[in-house]
Amino acid sequence: EWNASLWGSRRAFTEHVEKLAEIVNEKSGGDFTINISYGGLSKNTENLDGISIGAFEMAQFCAGYHRDKNPTITVLELPFLGVKTLEEEVAVSNAVYSHPAVVDDLARWNAKLLMPTPMPQYNIVGTGEPLDKLEQFKGMRVRATGGIGEAFRTVGAVPTSVTATEAYQAMESGVVDTVSFAQHAHLSFRTIDEADWWTENLNPGTLNCPVVVNTDAYATLSDEHRQILDDSVSEAIDFYLENYGKLLDRWEEVLAEKEVQKVTISDEELAEFRRIGGEPIQLSWIEDMSAVGLPARELYELVQQTLEETRAK
Amino acid sequence: MAGSASVIEDGSRLSRLDQMLLRVERALALVSGLAVFMIMVFAVVSVSGRNFFNAPVPGYVDWIEQLMPFIAILGISYTQRDGTHIRMDMIVGALRGRALWAAEAITVFVMLVLMVLLIWGTWAHFQRSFDFAAPLWSRDSSIDIALPLWPAKLAVPLAFSVLALRLLIQLWGYSRACWLGLYHPAAVPLIRSTAQIAAEEANAIGQERSR
Amino acid sequence: MTSIEIGLWVSGLLVALVFLGMRVGFAAAFAGLVGLVWIFWSKRGYDPAMFGWALGVAVKTAGQVPHGKVASQALSLIPTFILIGYLAYYAGLTQALFEAAKRWFGWLPGGLAVSTVFATAGFAAVSGASVATAAVFARIAIPEMLRSGYDKRFAAGVVAAGGTLASLIPPSAILVIYAIIVEQDVGKLLLAGFVPGLFSALVYGGLIVGLAVVLKTIGPPVRGFTWGQRFAALPPALPILAVVVIIVFFVYNPFGGDAWGTPTEGGALGAFIVFLMALFRGMRWKELKSALLETAKLAVMIFTIIWGVLIYVRFLGFADLPGAFSDWITSLEQSPLLTLVLILLAYAVLGMFMDAIGMLLLTLPVVYPAVMALNGGEFVSAEDSAFGMSGPMCAIWFGILVVKMAEFCLITPPIGLNCFVVAGVRDDLTVQDVFRGVTPFFIADAITIALLVTFPSIVLWLPSLA
Ligand code: NA
Ligand code: NA
Repeated sequence: EWNASLWGSRRAFTEHVEKLAEIVNEKSGGDFTINISYGGLSKNTENLDGISIGAFEMAQFCAGYHRDKNPTITVLELPFLGVKTLEEEVAVSNAVYSHPAVVDDLARWNAKLLMPTPMPQYNIVGTGEPLDKLEQFKGMRVRATGGIGEAFRTVGAVPTSVTATEAYQAMESGVVDTVSFAQHAHLSFRTIDEADWWTENLNPGTLNCPVVVNTDAYATLSDEHRQILDDSVSEAIDFYLENYGKLLDRWEEVLAEKEVQKVTISDEELAEFRRIGGEPIQLSWIEDMSAVGLPARELYELVQQTLEETRAK
Repeated sequence: MAGSASVIEDGSRLSRLDQMLLRVERALALVSGLAVFMIMVFAVVSVSGRNFFNAPVPGYVDWIEQLMPFIAILGISYTQRDGTHIRMDMIVGALRGRALWAAEAITVFVMLVLMVLLIWGTWAHFQRSFDFAAPLWSRDSSIDIALPLWPAKLAVPLAFSVLALRLLIQLWGYSRACWLGLYHPAAVPLIRSTAQIAAEEANAIGQERSR
Repeated sequence: MTSIEIGLWVSGLLVALVFLGMRVGFAAAFAGLVGLVWIFWSKRGYDPAMFGWALGVAVKTAGQVPHGKVASQALSLIPTFILIGYLAYYAGLTQALFEAAKRWFGWLPGGLAVSTVFATAGFAAVSGASVATAAVFARIAIPEMLRSGYDKRFAAGVVAAGGTLASLIPPSAILVIYAIIVEQDVGKLLLAGFVPGLFSALVYGGLIVGLAVVLKTIGPPVRGFTWGQRFAALPPALPILAVVVIIVFFVYNPFGGDAWGTPTEGGALGAFIVFLMALFRGMRWKELKSALLETAKLAVMIFTIIWGVLIYVRFLGFADLPGAFSDWITSLEQSPLLTLVLILLAYAVLGMFMDAIGMLLLTLPVVYPAVMALNGGEFVSAEDSAFGMSGPMCAIWFGILVVKMAEFCLITPPIGLNCFVVAGVRDDLTVQDVFRGVTPFFIADAITIALLVTFPSIVLWLPSLA
C-alpha cells in the first residue's frame, strides 16, 4: 500500500496519477494500492523532502518551485525552448529524466523519476489592448515566476510577485496587467474571467512537474508489482494527454463564450523576443550550471535534439 | 484560558539563570517584532513603487515568506517564560502546593521531550536545504527569485534550542518547588491567582519586618 | 488497529493533554508526533527493529511543519493586524473613538454603555484581536460608566462583550486563520465579517437600550452635547476611517472600479497609517519597542498553536480521519440543517473550555470538510445544495458562524478569556462579577446566531457583490 502526495484538488494536472493508481490496483487484483492525498501529507514545495524522508512513496512537484533542489531539470523550464505540443513536452521530459546527471540529482532526494506531467506553454492573458508587438511589453506588469519572468524582463516588462491564489485579485485590482499560466490554471484560478485577450503562440516556456517515487520503496516492491507499475506509466500518460486535450477543447469554448481575443504574434516579433529574452537566459543558465559541475550544455542539447527527432517522426 | 502570569525574581542561582536567558529571549523577540515592522515597510515600498514608479519590489512574496518564520518562531521562548502560551488551566488552576508543582513539572517535561525531538526534526529540515558546496550554500530556494531558504529554516531549531533551555529551567524550578514544598518558587510562571497570593504574602512579611 | 482507530486514540490523548493544562500548541504537536510514529510503525507491522525508523520518519515529517507552514504570505496578515491594534492605542484612537461615540449616542437610554459598544465596534475596524480590544476599553470606558452610576458588573459585561466584535469586523486575525485552514479567499471572508459584526453591535445596542428602560442598575443618559461639539469629536477618530477605507478598497471597490491591491498589502498599509499617526501623537522608540515586543508575543502565541495543530493535522492526513468523519456525518439520517445546528451547539460547549483560536484550529480540519459535504460538496451549485448556497458561499457562511460561536465563547464561563482580561485590568472586579455582568449579552449573541443561521444573506450579500 503506497501513499502519493499531491496538492490542490483533483484536476487535469493530476489525472495521470489517478489513472495510474486505478490501473495498478486493477492489474494487481487489489494487492497494490496507491492512496492519493491532496495536500494532507505535505506542502507542495516540500514533497521532495517527504520522499527523501520516506514519509510517502510517490509525489508530484514542480522543478521551478525550488530551483536549488533540482537544478538539472530546470533545463526544461528555460524560456523559449521551442516546445509546442504536449507530446513534444513528454518526449523532452523523458529524455532529460533518463540522463545520468539528472538521475544523480534526484538520487540526492532518494527519488526516482517516474513520469512527467506535460503542461502546455504558459501563455499570458491580459486586460485592455492586446499586445502583439514587442515594444508594447515595456512597463507591462506580468505575473510570471522564475525564468519566464526573467524573459519578460528582458523586453522591458515588469515581473510582479503575486501568489497563484492572489493572481485573480491582482489582475482585477491592476496589481498586474497580465498573468502567465497553463490553460487549466487560467481556468481554475479564474484569471480567464478577467481577461480580454490571450496569446496563442507566444509560448514563453512552461513549468516541469514530474512524478517521482521513493527509491527504497520502489526497490522493495515485489518483481510483479514493480513490473505492473512500470508498465502502467505509458497508459496513464496517454490517458492524461487525452483528458488534457478535452480541456483544451473546452478552453476554446470558454474563449469564445467570454469573447476573449486570441492574439497571434508575428514570426518576426517572436524571433526577436527569442533573441533578446530566450537565448541569453539559456546561455547564462548553461554557464551557471556548468560552473557547479553539471553537464549543462549536454542537457540543453539533449532537449534540442529530442525536439528535432520528435518532429521528424 | 490563562493569559500571562508573573515570574518571581530573586538572588538564587536558578533565578540568575532565568534572568540571563531572559535577555537572550527578549533580544530574539525584538528581532521578531522588527520583522513584523519590516513586513509593513515592505508593503508600503511595494505598493508605492508599483503605483508611482512602476517598479514593484522584485520577489515581494518570496521576501515576506522569508520573514514569516522569524516572526512566528523566534519569540517562542520569550512567550513561554511568563506563561503566555495558551492553555486550559481549569484543572491545574484548582490544584495547590505539591500537586500543582507536580502537574506543572509533568507537562513541562512532556514539552521538553517534544522540543528535543522537534530540534532533531527541524534541524534535519534545515540540513536538507543546506550544502556547503553549493552557491550561497543553498540546496533549496524560493520560487520567484530563488532566495536560499536555509537561513529561515535554521532559525527554527535555534529558537527551539533556546526554548529547550527555558524548559530545563522551568522543570528544575517546578521540581524543586515540589520537592521542597515551596509556596512561591522563583523562575517559573505562576498562575495569576497564585501570583497574587504570593505577592500579598510578600507584602504582609514586609509589613511585619517594618513594625 | 486501523488508521482510523489510531486517529481516535491519538485525538483522545490530545484532549487529555489539553485538560491536564499542557499549552495547547505543544499538546497538539506532541499528540501529532505520537500519532505519526504510531502510523509509520504500524505500516511495518510493529516490528521492534523498525521502531527507530518510524520515529525518525515521524520526527522529520513533523520537523517540516513549523517552518514550512508559517512561511506563507497570507499568514503575514496576522502579525500586521495585531500590530495595528497596539499602535492604535499609542495613536490615541481608543480615547478619541469613545469620546466621539459618547457625544453622538450618549443621549440614548443606557447611553454610555451604547457608546461603549459602538466605540468597540469602531476600534474593531483597526484591531484584529478581541482580547486586546477588551483590555483597552476596560481602562477607558469602565471608569466613566462607574462615575455615571452604572452597576460595575454590567459595565464590565458591556466591555467584555463589545470586545468580541473585533474578530468579526475586519481586520480579524481569526478570520484569516479560518480562511487559511479551509483554503478560501481571505478577502471575501474579511468582507463577509463586516455586516454580521455591525449587526451584532446593533443587537447589543438594542439590548442595552431595552434593559435601560426596565432596570435601575444602568446609569442615566449623557445629554447636553451641541452639534458643534459632536462634529468636533470626529476628526481625532478619522484615522480609523482611513484604515477601514484602505482595507476595504484593497479587497473590493464598492464603487465598482478596480480594487487597489491585495488584502495582505491593505493590512500592512493600514498598520503604516496608524504608525504615522502614533508617531505624530508622540510615540517614540520606547513605546514602539514595547508595541513590537507585545506584537511578537501575541503573534508567536498564535503561530505556535498554528504549527502545533498543523503537526496534528499532518498526522490526521496520514490517518485519513477527516474523510471518515465526513462520511459519517453525511450518512446521518436527519436534516443537514439540524446537523449543522448540533455542530454549532458542540462548539458552544467546547468553547466553554477552550480558547477560540485553539478550538477552531483543532476542530476545523475535521469539521469543515464534513460541513461542506453536508451542503453537497465543494463545487455544488446553490440549486443542488442542502443549505441553498454554492460551495464557496457555504465556506464563507460557516466561517462567520463558527467565528461568531468562538466570540460567544470568549464571554462564557468558566474560561471566557475576555472576562478574565477585564477582571485582570480592574482591581475592583472579580471574574465572577464580569461573568454575571455579561449574562444579558449571551441572549443577544444567541439571537444574532439564530438570525445568521436563518437568514444567510446577512452574511453573504456583501461577499457575493465582490
Ligand atoms: Na477587527
Ligand atoms: Na480583578
